[in-house]
Amino acid sequence: MLITGIKSRPVYDELTPMATGASHVAAAQGSGGEPLVRLLREMDPDQLSATTVLYSVESFTGKNHLADLQDFAVRELVVFPTNADAVSGLDALLATAKMGTRLYLSGSEGFIGTSMQVATSYGMNRDEVLREHAGSFVRRVWCAHCSHYSENVSRRIFRCPGCARHLIVRDHYSGRLAAFQGVKADGEVPGELPENEELDT
Amino acid sequence: MSEAHHGALHLRVKRIEAVTPEINRYTFSAADGSWLPPFSGGSHIRVLIPFEGETRRNAYSLMSSPYDTSEYQIAVRRVEEGKRGSIAMHRDIREGDVLTATIPANLFPVSKHARHHVFIAGGVGVTPIYAQLDELSLKGSSFELHLAVRGPEHAALGHELRERYGDRVVLYGDGDGTRLNSHEILGGLPLGTHAYVCGPSRMVDDVIGAAHAHGWTDSHIHFERFEDLGSTGDPFSVTLARSGAVVEVSPEQSLLEAVEEAGHKLPYLCRGGACGECETEVLELEGTLDHRDDWLSESDRCTNKLIMPCVSRATCTKLVLNA
Repeated sequence: MLITGIKSRPVYDELTPMATGASHVAAAQGSGGEPLVRLLREMDPDQLSATTVLYSVESFTGKNHLADLQDFAVRELVVFPTNADAVSGLDALLATAKMGTRLYLSGSEGFIGTSMQVATSYGMNRDEVLREHAGSFVRRVWCAHCSHYSENVSRRIFRCPGCARHLIVRDHYSGRLAAFQGVKADGEVPGELPENEELDT
Repeated sequence: MSEAHHGALHLRVKRIEAVTPEINRYTFSAADGSWLPPFSGGSHIRVLIPFEGETRRNAYSLMSSPYDTSEYQIAVRRVEEGKRGSIAMHRDIREGDVLTATIPANLFPVSKHARHHVFIAGGVGVTPIYAQLDELSLKGSSFELHLAVRGPEHAALGHELRERYGDRVVLYGDGDGTRLNSHEILGGLPLGTHAYVCGPSRMVDDVIGAAHAHGWTDSHIHFERFEDLGSTGDPFSVTLARSGAVVEVSPEQSLLEAVEEAGHKLPYLCRGGACGECETEVLELEGTLDHRDDWLSESDRCTNKLIMPCVSRATCTKLVLNA
């Protein structure tokens, strides 16, 4: 282990209706559908009718909660095939959203992080957003050498698809980049790689 | 740049203009002719005003451009009631006089990340917004200002801003029967909007209420109450534990002012109960504290262990501070 205890990793919340909001946007992927179902169950009919749900069926663990999500009388439920599409959908929705909107995010760290980048670009603050992690802790990794982003990284050492270097995943999360940092693994002695290990996924 | 001695600047009154029947605008330059410390839009200074053998420390927003530190401008509305520092400014201060003031502090800055800025002000509450708009317009930011005045003869500052910024400035009460409605102003604004209100407490509360009604969170709502909360009330005495000194607080002065007058020092910044700098521990109390600040939480207040000497008082037979 490079560093133990990841101080930079976000502290996640538990999704619960934010009663002071006038409009709600709930976005999730894969396993994140479960906290979303729990959130919608806690909402009263007025809140539900003011809620737009965005759900991506892409999942690392194979969990799909779409059928459960379809049970609620929300304003709109939009389904996306991939996480990237869901994040783009969120971007389009927030572009015309008004003050008074509350955002709920759940799913993988990469999905929450990239969604949070979108929310921040529209000036949403932390008192308007709740985030709940769900599913595995696979990591989104940014390559310090070629700036390539790798999704769903589960091993300490992997080959960067952008520059083919062996990268070691540091326990350093950047909220701005929504990713962990990956640096050349054999920087000291070329060809000498540290022992690989499973990340805390 | 002009040097501050113990946080104080010496300002020469360069120009005095009457802009409305109640408001004078004062233009200051450094007494030694040098540059003044830079500031950001929304900053204020405390002007030490000589008043009948005493000193009034009134906070005034800087309304000149933050990009020109050859001078500072403030606007002073004459207020008959209260501690009458503004009366002394209007009656006694002449062009050429030198006044002492604190270096600028900003408790009302603009948000750096806002996508749109909405300013709401009443009367002389527009002064911090002058400097804020200077800052935003140079950066090309999106903003609007809604200003309520009590009649055409009080609208001069509003007209000045309309000339600079056109339709982005809306005046109410300028003889056309319009009234500022904060609920209408704050409805349907885009995500990432920030609202700023400066005016009487009633107006500030009204805007906060309207923003909440539209579902806004507090991080998007910024306010400054221009009424000097002051600190007047029944006299009491306070013991400073570290020196053992006993200080009498008269009805006309704050606890902080009384301690300073007796030659002791307490930390301070805003002197208006907002910034938290002067928070002081209460070691002993026989009586009740009269909390008048916006800093301490309800639970802090209940403990009777903390006081903000710049605005708060006590009704007590004994008060010992850890100072």
